[in-house]
Amino acid sequence: MQQRIDRLLERASRRVAQRTSRRGFLGLFGAALTGATLLPLLPVSRGGQALAEPTSPKVPASPTASDDPVSCDYWKYCAIDGFLCACCGGSSSSCPPGTTPSPITWIGTCHNPGDGRDYIVSYNDCCGKTSCGACSCNRNEGEKPMYRLSLNNDANWCMANDNPNYHCSVSVLLGVAGQ
Amino acid sequence: MRFNKTLMQPAIIALSLAQAALLSGAWAAPVPAPLPAEHLSITQLPVASPHWIYVYDEAFNNETDSRLNLYDGDSHRLLGQIDSGYYPGFTPSPDGHTMAVATTYWARGGHGPHTDVIEFTDTSSLAITGEVVLAPTRAQGPPTSYNIAYSKDQRFIYSTNLTPAASMSVIDVEKKQVVADFDTDGCVLAIASLERRVSSICENGRLLSVTTDDTGHEVARSFSDPFFDVDHDPVFIQAAPSQQGALFLSFLGVVHPVDLSGMQPRFSAPWSLVDAKPVHHWRPGGTQMLALHKTLGTLYVSMHQGGEGTHKMGGSQIWVFDTNTHRRVARWPIDPAKYGAALAVQVSQDLQPLLFVTTDTSTLLILDGKTGHLLHAEAKMGQTPWYLINP
Repeated sequence: MQQRIDRLLERASRRVAQRTSRRGFLGLFGAALTGATLLPLLPVSRGGQALAEPTSPKVPASPTASDDPVSCDYWKYCAIDGFLCACCGGSSSSCPPGTTPSPITWIGTCHNPGDGRDYIVSYNDCCGKTSCGACSCNRNEGEKPMYRLSLNNDANWCMANDNPNYHCSVSVLLGVAGQ
Repeated sequence: MRFNKTLMQPAIIALSLAQAALLSGAWAAPVPAPLPAEHLSITQLPVASPHWIYVYDEAFNNETDSRLNLYDGDSHRLLGQIDSGYYPGFTPSPDGHTMAVATTYWARGGHGPHTDVIEFTDTSSLAITGEVVLAPTRAQGPPTSYNIAYSKDQRFIYSTNLTPAASMSVIDVEKKQVVADFDTDGCVLAIASLERRVSSICENGRLLSVTTDDTGHEVARSFSDPFFDVDHDPVFIQAAPSQQGALFLSFLGVVHPVDLSGMQPRFSAPWSLVDAKPVHHWRPGGTQMLALHKTLGTLYVSMHQGGEGTHKMGGSQIWVFDTNTHRRVARWPIDPAKYGAALAVQVSQDLQPLLFVTTDTSTLLILDGKTGHLLHAEAKMGQTPWYLINP
């Protein structure tokens, strides 16, 4: 599992490094790596749509958590903010045809009430087409403003793509947390 | 009774003549003169009013097509539009004559080559008067008052970059070109102060301030001490401009006044909008959760009841505060069931202020800024009106 995460982050860092040499990136990305181990991290963002069921940090998952990939209450979407790719021609873990996954990704942890386990989740955006517009989902547990970029879901995380146009977001299970 | 056919005949003839006359129009009212020919023209904006408001529509469902709608809060009419492309930054010039919009356009709709650019629009005509092409590094984030900023002397524009490395580009407004670029150590936002200084918020809660020279290049920088707790109670990046600098507001409702009028930033004692032990968990939230009347010192905040993670939730009430006494002076209900929850608030800066509120049902509400009386509700104000800008 750790190797998979490492590969994922390596790919992201290589892609971004090709585009920047600014010293601020090191601190930023370091923070992202640190944050990734601490709490659910976030995909791309769009702010302001009506929220899904707001939850307290004491509640491990939404009280209405479901297994429906086209529902914002799906437990795997615990910190997603954007359009659900499952409603846009893709699935909860695959981009719609003709789009491109973002090289920068969030690694988070979501609690599955079905088996009581916490799962490591990779949030990726699918880029290259205009926003999908279907199944807007905005859940912000643990989210921070843009100055804490590693925990922010308002920035356009298609920013490092050749085409930075945001389309939708997916949530990919990487494995059980803590194993 | 029997009718005399001889007497009836003249009457029948008269009726028939009358019907014929009516059909021919001979007895109709006088025909008005034909309408004059029209000449196609362009409507000229009237003299600007402090009760005008730019309503930023993110066009969330098709984000490449956002726009700034100019609306008159007195006549309740839409006056015009400025296109603002994709995830824009925007700011009026200090003299109010220009609206600068930093945005991204694609050559073929949502694909093909894309260009980051700052466009300048004359606010008296809404015509584009110029542009500056940027490197493809422009920060694309939520709307704030500080994604780009004019220097106070209006000579330069500071434009934020995020790749995700954070930096700042400096644009010479007269030469219409990028003249400098400097790293911001991961700090974001462009808050202009003094003649040519720009400040940014850092991930450790400090404020970075960079001074630029006559050529737009950095000549000095300094970091403040942290002025808020990033981990436990971060401030929104949607701060409100104040007389001396800016008012920042935290997720839990703590106001952090920042004074940028001196050589070093000064931070007044924070004060809270809510009780120390909140019973009902009132919090600020939305996409533009606060507005400040700078001369009256009145602060308006969109408030909702919720817990952690609800900081983007729209409000069911507008709370009004006197920033001099830190006392709450009013609570104005918004009626989310009727109008939607309050996402963005802005107040005109004249002495008879209007409070503008947009909701998550795309309604624009106009309230008397002193009494809270609802003056007008404009339904269907765009698709996703998430930010409000005074002219």
